[in-house]
This record gives sequence, C-alpha cells and structure tokens, in this order.
Amino acid sequence: MKLFGTDRVLGKVIKVLMWRNDTGQDLTVTGVVADPPTPQSVSFNAMMRTGEQDKDPDHPSNSHYCQVYARMQQTIDTAALNKTLLSVYTDFKKASFVKREINFNDFYKDGKTPGLKTLSLKDVHGNPSFQISWLEKLKPIIGITAFLLLISVINFVNLATAQSVQRAKEVGVKKVLGSYKKQLVVQFLLESALQSIIALFISIILIELVLPAFNHQFNVELSFWHNEQFSGILLQLLALFVLVTLLAGFYPAWILSNYNPVSVLKGNYEKGLKGVALRNILVIFQFVISVTFIIAIGVMHKQTEFINNKDLGFERGNLINIKSNYEKSFADKISRIPGVEYVATTTQVMGNAFNVPEEVTYKGNKVALNTVTVSMDALKALGVKVLQGRIFSKEYKQDTVNTVVLNEAAAKLIDKNPVGKNYQVKDGPKNHTFQIVGVIKDYHNEGFDKAVLPTLYKVTHLGGSSNTNNLLIRFNTENSSEAIKKIEAEWKTLYPDYPMEYITMNSEFQHVLEDNARFINMIILFSVVSVSLSLLGLFALSTFVARRRTKEIAVRKVLGASNVQIVNLLNKSFLILVVLANLISWPIAYILVNKWLQGFAYRIDMPVFPFITATVISIIIAVLTVSIQARKAAVRNPVTALKYE
Amino acid sequence: MIEIKNIEKYYASKGVKHYVLRHVTTSIKKGEFVSIMGPSGAGKSTLLNILGMLEESTYGQYEFMGEDVTTLSERKRIELYRNHIGFVFQAYHLIDEMTVYENIEAPLLYKKIGNSERKSRIADLLDRFNIVAKKDLFPNQLSGGQQQLVGIARALAAQPSLILADEPTGNLQSVQAEEIMELFRKLNKEEGITIIQVTHAEKNAQYGNRILHIADGVVKDDVQVG
Repeated sequence: MKLFGTDRVLGKVIKVLMWRNDTGQDLTVTGVVADPPTPQSVSFNAMMRTGEQDKDPDHPSNSHYCQVYARMQQTIDTAALNKTLLSVYTDFKKASFVKREINFNDFYKDGKTPGLKTLSLKDVHGNPSFQISWLEKLKPIIGITAFLLLISVINFVNLATAQSVQRAKEVGVKKVLGSYKKQLVVQFLLESALQSIIALFISIILIELVLPAFNHQFNVELSFWHNEQFSGILLQLLALFVLVTLLAGFYPAWILSNYNPVSVLKGNYEKGLKGVALRNILVIFQFVISVTFIIAIGVMHKQTEFINNKDLGFERGNLINIKSNYEKSFADKISRIPGVEYVATTTQVMGNAFNVPEEVTYKGNKVALNTVTVSMDALKALGVKVLQGRIFSKEYKQDTVNTVVLNEAAAKLIDKNPVGKNYQVKDGPKNHTFQIVGVIKDYHNEGFDKAVLPTLYKVTHLGGSSNTNNLLIRFNTENSSEAIKKIEAEWKTLYPDYPMEYITMNSEFQHVLEDNARFINMIILFSVVSVSLSLLGLFALSTFVARRRTKEIAVRKVLGASNVQIVNLLNKSFLILVVLANLISWPIAYILVNKWLQGFAYRIDMPVFPFITATVISIIIAVLTVSIQARKAAVRNPVTALKYE
Repeated sequence: MIEIKNIEKYYASKGVKHYVLRHVTTSIKKGEFVSIMGPSGAGKSTLLNILGMLEESTYGQYEFMGEDVTTLSERKRIELYRNHIGFVFQAYHLIDEMTVYENIEAPLLYKKIGNSERKSRIADLLDRFNIVAKKDLFPNQLSGGQQQLVGIARALAAQPSLILADEPTGNLQSVQAEEIMELFRKLNKEEGITIIQVTHAEKNAQYGNRILHIADGVVKDDVQVG
C-alpha cells in the first residue's frame, strides 16, 4: 500500500530484484494480507513463490539457509515428532555422505551429532532459540520491578502499622463489645483490599496514559487493551492484587487485632507499640534498594562516558559504508568524484564484521589469528593508527602477494616487534610465507562487549573484488552529502533498478550503543521511582515518629533544648538506619554492577566515587526529609503536649 | 525577681473574647515560695505558663530578673530555661526511653556542663533524694512519688533560681505528697530557691509563705502565710 498509495493493488505488477545486477522479474500482486497488530516472528512486506532456488550469479556457490515451517493437523507431541525427524535426517545425511564420499562415522566422531528438531512456533516467538532469549534480557527488568513493588508494599505496611495507633481505640472498643479476633483481621484485610483495588484501577488508567510515552522512550511496542494475551494479563493482575493485599494487609491487620483492649482503653497503647524494630528493618531494606540503584547509575554513567569517549581506533566521522561489494570499475569511478578520498573494502568494519580464523606458524609456534581481507586503501580509509612499520600501499608490489599488517592484539600475542619477520601458513602440503610489515592500533568493529580479536590484515590478490558487502568511502570534504549524491548518480547508471543502501559510521556507532543506552535509561527511570518511594516511606515514618515523641520533644524543650538540637535528635535515629543501609548496599551494588561491567570487554575499573556520592546523596535527602517533620515537631509549643489530661 | 503588670490573656473565637486572665499585676521577690490557688478553669495554669514563658500574654508587661521578657526571642528563652528556670509537672513527664540517671543528666547536657562536673552533680542529687539504687531503672519501673522525685531532681540539676511546679502532687497519695512538699520547703528555706506552685489543696499551700487566690482570671486575694 505504501508502494502504490491505494489499497486496490490486485493485479498490479512489481519488478523484483534479488541482487545488484539482477535483471529483475515482473511479479503480479495476487493478494493482500492484514498486518497483525503485534510483533511477528516472521515479518515480511511481500511474499513470493518462484519455485526455483535463487542463485546470485556473482556467487553461485553461496548456500542459502532457510527455515521450514509446518502446520500440524492436530496437536501432536513434539518430542515424538523430533525423534522421527531425527532418524529421517540421519538417514538422509548418511545417504548424502555416501554420495560425497565422506564417512559418516568419521564426520561425527568427535562428539558432534547430527541435529534437527522442531520447535513449536509459540516457543520460538516468545523465546527464540539460537540467540539470547527474551527471558534472559527481561530478567533484570523483572527483578527491578519486583523490587519496586516490594518497596511499595513495605511502605504500605510501614504506614499502616504506624497509623494503627489511631485505630487502636476502635479495636479496643470492638473487642470489649465482643468481636472475635478473626473478624477484626478480616475487617482490616478487606480495608487493604479496597485500597489495593483502587490502586489497581488507577494503575490501569496510568497504563493507558503513560504507555505511549513509554513505548516512544524505550522504542518498544507494548499494548494493553489490544494485547493478545489480555486475559492472561488480567489474570496476572488479579493474582497480583491478591498477593499485594495479603502481603501488605496481613501484618498490620494482625498487629491491630492483637491489641490488648485493657491497655488500649486505659490510654497507654503507645508504649506497648511493637514492631518498631521491624519497621526499622523495612526502612533499611528500602534504602538498600535505593542506594544500590544510585550507585548503579553512577557506575553506568561512568562506563557509558568511557565508551562514548573511547578511541575507536578509526575515524568514524566522514566515513560511509555502502551495502555493496567492491568492484574495480565502480570504485574507480567513485574515487574520481571530488570529495572522495578513499574507496575501499574490508571484511571487518563496525556493523558488518566477518571473521575468518586462521592458524599460522610463527617461529615454530602455532597461533590462531583472525584474518581480515582488505583492499589496498582500506586501512587508510578507516584512518587507523600505525604503531610500527607501515600499512599497505601501492608502492610496494609484494603487498598484494605476501605481506600482512597485524593489529596490536595480534602483535602482543606473537611478538612485541614483529615488523620484518615472517610466518608460515600451512595449506595442505605447501607452506606459504608471509612477511609482517606493520602493526596498527586495535580498532573496534563490534560492540564493546567483545574484545578486539588478534587480527592480521591481508590485501587480496584479486585486487579487492571479494564478497564483503562493505564498500567504504572516506570523504575529505565537509560537504559529504554532495558527494554522496554524485555517488548515487553513478550507482543509478550502473544498476538502474537496484537501490543503493549506505550507512554512516557515526550512526552505526550510535546503533552499537543503543541497547546499552536503553538499559541505562530504564535503570534511571526505575531508580527515580524507587528513591522517591523510599523517601515517601521515610517521610511518613518520620511524621509518625515525631508525633509519637511529641511529649519527649516538649520535655526536652522545657529542659533547654534548642530547635536544632531537637531536629538533630530525630535525625540521628534515622541517620543510623540510612548509614546501615549504605553499608549493606555497598557490597550488593559492587557485586551487581561488577557483573554488569563484566559484560564489557572494555570497561572501567570499579570507581569508588559513585559509592561515596550515593552515600552522601542518600544521607542528605534522608536528613532533609526527616528535618521537615522534625522541625515541625520542634517549633510546636510544648504546652499543648505537656498538658495533663 | 518577677514583675508582671496588667497581664491579660484571652482567646478570640468568632469575634468574642474569652478571657482567661485579666489585669493580673503582681511581683514576686527572690526566695519567695508562692502558691497559686483557685477553682478549675480559673487561669492558674495559664498564669504559671506565662511566668514560665511557655505561653505569651495577649497584653501586659513581664519583667524577669530585671529584664523585659514580654516578647522574647527563642534563643533568649532557651538560655533562661538552661540557667534559671526548672519545671516540675503533675504528670512528671520523664522521658520513658531513658533511665533515671539519663533523665537527670539531660538538662546538664543542654547546658554543656563538663563530664566530671556532671557526674558529681547527678551523684549528689541521687544521694540527696535517696534514689541512688534506682538510677538505672526506667521511669515506668518507679512509683509515682519516686517519679516525681526524679522530676524534681531533674529540675534542680541545672541549679535554677526559680522552680515552677504545676500541681506537683496532683497525682500522688497524701503521704508521698507530703514528702514532696516538705522537700520544696527545704529547698526554699535552705537554698533560697524561688518556688511558684499551682495547687488545689489548701494544705499544700500552707508549705509556702504566700498564696495568690485566683478566680475567673482575676487575683482575688494575696496573703502572706507563716
């Protein structure tokens, strides 16, 4: 529809090109399918059936991998199906090996097994095999959310038990009037159930309001009402509702219904108030979570800064990568365009790296290295830094034959000063000798979670017509868009029907950082929520404590305590909790954040600064929060509290 | 020591003034033991609170030790509490979470008295009031009379020149009450501490040397006793 601007497309003809210099095939649209509203495992813009196996004439030997889907007539046991399939597959393999004169037992002798299995589509969609599963990626978020929920529940328990003093009289009277304890528990549980059901409705409204912004911010597509698993979500919410009600409601209900009516009615229930220790533990727990979050943000920020400013080893500005192979005639044409400095190709560049392992013999030692094939100008186009020797140049005839450049990692592996030395590569019975002419600084071609492999760079003897799908173009002008337009025009004359796709190295770099940035954004959001929840809890608790200690405060004032001393007195009791929480959260944060850092091959040493900052921040905000309440209590006229009733 | 002139106190509600005190004028000299008497709601406690600077009068003048304290900065008032005024309450108002020793120590901490001086003063007080054995107990482990003893010890710790007592024996049995009043008389006679107490009981008032009768916010009678 996007193509034609109308939905009456049946019978229209589209020309389909499978590769760059394909002449194209005219296909007729025979049907239109509705777009499903949710993400798909197999997403497509168009589907066609040609009945032939497509072969790119440039690379007739390329294998095509494809997935096979089958719809079962009825629900069947996948385990049994797998067994049958496996035996069929093994037989087939045996047969094909006979044709290719390979011994079946030889091929699979070292622990390899022929493998084939079916997966139900539902599993594949929710939990794709052969890559990091969704569950694995979602785990930290599930954990964080659980913690947030826990903090909220703790707040509720804390406040409810704190408030229970006010309801103690009601309990006392009811007990005297003959109410069972069980009835009281039920009453209080129902009350918390009512509160959590109201919270549930508010949260549904909030989801409706916030979800679009959330989707936009984190670049995801979540839906609530239109979700296919809507009934499942409802069930989850219901379960959550019951859980929260019990978790949050039971303890206060139990505490309340346990009041001794005699002491309550006599009026000295405040003294008998238990659970102070428990509340303190809960406050500590909340702050442990919050402080851990703050530390995590600090370290993540440092790591991100480190990566953003990290020397990539190549110049990412003014460099684009066209999705195409290197072709001499085309490259020559482009390189004549003003503004273009180098045109080159390589099998290894950020965004599209293809690594070929090779075993070389250096001074009698066998070393496994990664081989990258480049064209003459590739290293210059990337703008890598030369550490020793030289990089490839047209002036040296043998560069296309038997010279190589190593990167730093490889040089470290074999020899500190390898320039001018030789190594051998075994190729069947023959030994090829290569000379090392230079060492370059490691340059990044993958995410920062992976280390730069020890690599040797070789110029292809074919002059760079290899199948890389990378065509690097380095500009030496500020106005690269002008040059790109000209390149596009050249492309049009050569391949009139095939679109030119290119990506700048700057955006590729951003792309590499994207996942990480999203994760950090999420952590920041969660920690803001968690910290404010904890502060809310602390605020309420300090209100309660200030109220409970009104008399003491009044007495102290009359004894000559100043307001500041009173505020300090109240702060001290909370400060101990916050400091304790900090002490507990340091090792926890260290372990968690270290685990996160381990995911990066290039990472900072664990900084101390975020830990100290987090502690200082948490203490300052805790003191501010408590002081608001404490000041209120301190400036109150002591007379009211000291009156005898 | 204390000069008050035309002290008035009223609460305005809906434009109507409810007077608690009217035109109270009196002076109390150093070393006097004054009892303020009168029926409930007469304004005795309010007067004591005004004298103790816990409440401010709506109108009138108050001089304490030759200084105008009608309006007083927070800081000045705290200074007075630390050095010159001790309070004793009907409900004792000891701090529940602290031991007897710590309760007595509290005002000394605010007064920033040195460690050794503090120890000797507390030991002295515990000794005088015969509560040495109780020093590590908490207030709710003591009888009412013992709690009030601690309350008075605490009031005396800072060595004030004036003690303000609001119904100090109101919660006590008569035997204990007598002990407390006897103690007050001794403090007044032997150490020259000025004492102002509010009381219902004529019997308690006899321990002092002057009685102010108050009714409906007005001083009806000012008699010397003894």
